[in-house]
Amino acid sequence: MWATNAKIVGIVLGTLALYTLIANKIPQVQSEVPQALTLGANVTPEQLVAAGQKVYTGIGGCTTCHGLGERAPNLLTDEKGQGPIGARCGKREPGKTCKQYLYESLDNPTAFVVSGYQPIMPVMTKQLSPAQVWSVIAFLESQGGAVDVSASDIPASSPTSTTSPGGGGGGGTAFAGGSTDPKVIIQAAGCLACHKLEGQGQVIAPDLTHVGSRRDAESIRKKILDPASSVTKGYEKLAGIMPKSFGTMMNAAQLEALAQYLAAHK
Amino acid sequence: MTDSALLLLQAAADSTHAYGEFPVIGARAFVWITAEVHLMFAAFVLGVPMFAVVTEAIGIFGGDERYDRLSKEFTRLLLVAYSATAIWGAMLVFGLSTLYPRFWAYLTTIFAPSMWLYAALFFIESFTLYLYYYGWDRWKKGRAKLGHWTLGILLNVWGTIVMFIANAWLTYMMSPPRDITPTTDPTTIKLWHAIANATWMPINVHRVIANVVFGGAIVGAYASYRFLAARTDEERAHYDWMGYVGNFIAMSALIVLPFAGYWLGREIYQYDQSMGITMMGGFMSWLWVIQAFLIAVLFLTGNYYLWIGMGRIPGAERFRPYTKYLLIVLVLGAIVWGTPHTMIADSKELAAMGGSHHPFLGALGVMSAKNTAVNLMILTTFLSFLLYRRANTRPVVPWARTGTIIQGAMFAVAAGVVLFYGIRGYFVEAIVRIGFSVYQVLAVLSCIVFVTLIDILMTRGAQSLGAIRWGKMPPRSQYALFILAVTFTWLMGLMGFARSGIRQYWHVWQVMQDTSKYAATPALGYASKMISLCVLIFLSLVAFVFWLGGLAEKSTFVAGEGEQGARHVGH
Repeated sequence: MWATNAKIVGIVLGTLALYTLIANKIPQVQSEVPQALTLGANVTPEQLVAAGQKVYTGIGGCTTCHGLGERAPNLLTDEKGQGPIGARCGKREPGKTCKQYLYESLDNPTAFVVSGYQPIMPVMTKQLSPAQVWSVIAFLESQGGAVDVSASDIPASSPTSTTSPGGGGGGGTAFAGGSTDPKVIIQAAGCLACHKLEGQGQVIAPDLTHVGSRRDAESIRKKILDPASSVTKGYEKLAGIMPKSFGTMMNAAQLEALAQYLAAHK
Repeated sequence: MTDSALLLLQAAADSTHAYGEFPVIGARAFVWITAEVHLMFAAFVLGVPMFAVVTEAIGIFGGDERYDRLSKEFTRLLLVAYSATAIWGAMLVFGLSTLYPRFWAYLTTIFAPSMWLYAALFFIESFTLYLYYYGWDRWKKGRAKLGHWTLGILLNVWGTIVMFIANAWLTYMMSPPRDITPTTDPTTIKLWHAIANATWMPINVHRVIANVVFGGAIVGAYASYRFLAARTDEERAHYDWMGYVGNFIAMSALIVLPFAGYWLGREIYQYDQSMGITMMGGFMSWLWVIQAFLIAVLFLTGNYYLWIGMGRIPGAERFRPYTKYLLIVLVLGAIVWGTPHTMIADSKELAAMGGSHHPFLGALGVMSAKNTAVNLMILTTFLSFLLYRRANTRPVVPWARTGTIIQGAMFAVAAGVVLFYGIRGYFVEAIVRIGFSVYQVLAVLSCIVFVTLIDILMTRGAQSLGAIRWGKMPPRSQYALFILAVTFTWLMGLMGFARSGIRQYWHVWQVMQDTSKYAATPALGYASKMISLCVLIFLSLVAFVFWLGGLAEKSTFVAGEGEQGARHVGH
């Protein structure tokens, strides 16, 4: 019986060892806690690129769509024979440098939608701090091109940025300058990058022209604070695209002003 | 200042005492081990009563006393396992309350009433078990037996409610209702609102099925050990049969488990797309390749056990030539299922691969191919069972030939539907493609149900080609049962890591952040070592439980009831 017991123990240990070995042979990816991003005045391009890569693969959520070949253009690899993003960004828009093109793409994503893709990208400058945005640009430039982002590109008001969720961007200044004018808030939040209102904006997300007829102020407030709480019929495919950070970017008065303003659009 | 603001300030003031530390292995490892081993025992003590009560029912209503004895033997294993479950549960609670006091205080603030109910039900459940086991021989006949069986049903009811309550706590951590934010005062959260969160019911259903699988596998391992240690042919025959029943139950429930898994995955995506993407395409993407490997081991080993088992069935020689084709389908299916697709890769790796997907193998890594592969593997496994079932019978009904042709046609149609939608999936949008998996699943399930019905009708009064020679199994078949048990247990640990790990650095997703030094979610390599350690601890303790079970049995035997004891051991 001892021989049988030894065999059983051997089989159990051998099976465990095999599974453990295989799990250790594959690429090891640890999910890190987002760390505070500190970029001093003497930050080097290499430091920017390294910081940008972390934002790109982490808090920025870029890999959610880019790199899958279905939802958004490849950025780190070739896209339709034009090379990775660093190699092609300078040629995308006449008169714009790579840096300008990339910044504008993050600030106003619907401006340059690549043919064959839907305009679903959120406004990243509203989700990330300026330091994070510029580090991502540096990282993208490094993918086949030269990095020309420097500390001077990053606004002095935001030398440090924490990437804790809900922290929002803004670099410490009040959102929309603290204004409670709904139109200023809408402009600052970039709502019209996806929504249409009073004849302006895009129709990627639900048209807000008559939003008050289908949602009251309470419902609008809830939707802004928690975009996933409800999805307008016909837009299920875009669920999860609307940034969750608006509620934390605005103060209570701004949120209330915006909710009441939209609810009045019957 | 509002109460919420006060609570936040209090929380900030208390932050220095938010976490404790455990010597040598650290706080996270301690909680990981205690939670995992507790969960394994819990799954065992919930899974085993489910088929103990089913096998008892077969014994009562089918008049086959072997099933009644089998049921009692299952239940005997539960007695010590219950104590182990409670001990590890207590260790987990002590660990959470001393090592993660702030988080534990938060959970208890919301869930306290359910925790009292949990304790009360566990108490009731334990006493129901004692009545069920110790009343076995006293309530053996007539109405008393039915009453005894009712106790078994109650045991399952209490156990299932206990599990549902605990599931509410852990699913709240994953998917707290969306109106709950970091500033929500936990004392204002309604208990039912927190319980009925997005992933609660999918986890409940998934765990009920998984517990049956797990219980079957562990009982199979127990039977195989007893088979190898048996000294008489009778004893060997009994444990061979018991191992077969355990394996049959485990594999049958395993076939349904992926469908519950799909539902859970869909709910996770609907609750929070970023969480779903983290799970399937984010840092956990490699985990699914490992999972595919483990499932492949389960399918191959389960089928291997059946094929060996056919060696002890007269008439099975007719079907032996087909096994190599079944093996080919299973191996090909496993390879396709294990093909990676969207992986987190750095720019160098992407450049080396020539894109985010492999130029050739990438086509096999998509869900169309994987769904097709797994459905064909399920069909193949079902065919193995069918051949096993038919091995020693020759149907005598006049429509036997027609029935067999219809059964074959059903297999062909099901495989055709699976292949058609698998290939068509490459040419449609993702949203349409996802819907195709439903048609594939329905085709396979329909085939299983209708083919089984036809088979039951067709084999009524069938000519026997000889009785199954229970006990005439080579030892390697029993070692296969051990591999199944180890793999099921390891898989459970792996999927527990996936479920818990997708919260990443949050105790409660986007509500309470983990600010301890263990907040980062470890890579799969580290996780695999922890899983192996937990499995080793669990299996060692289970071996001890089995040994204790054997001791109790011997003492009954020695007590002088020679005849009674002998029947109890064998059949």
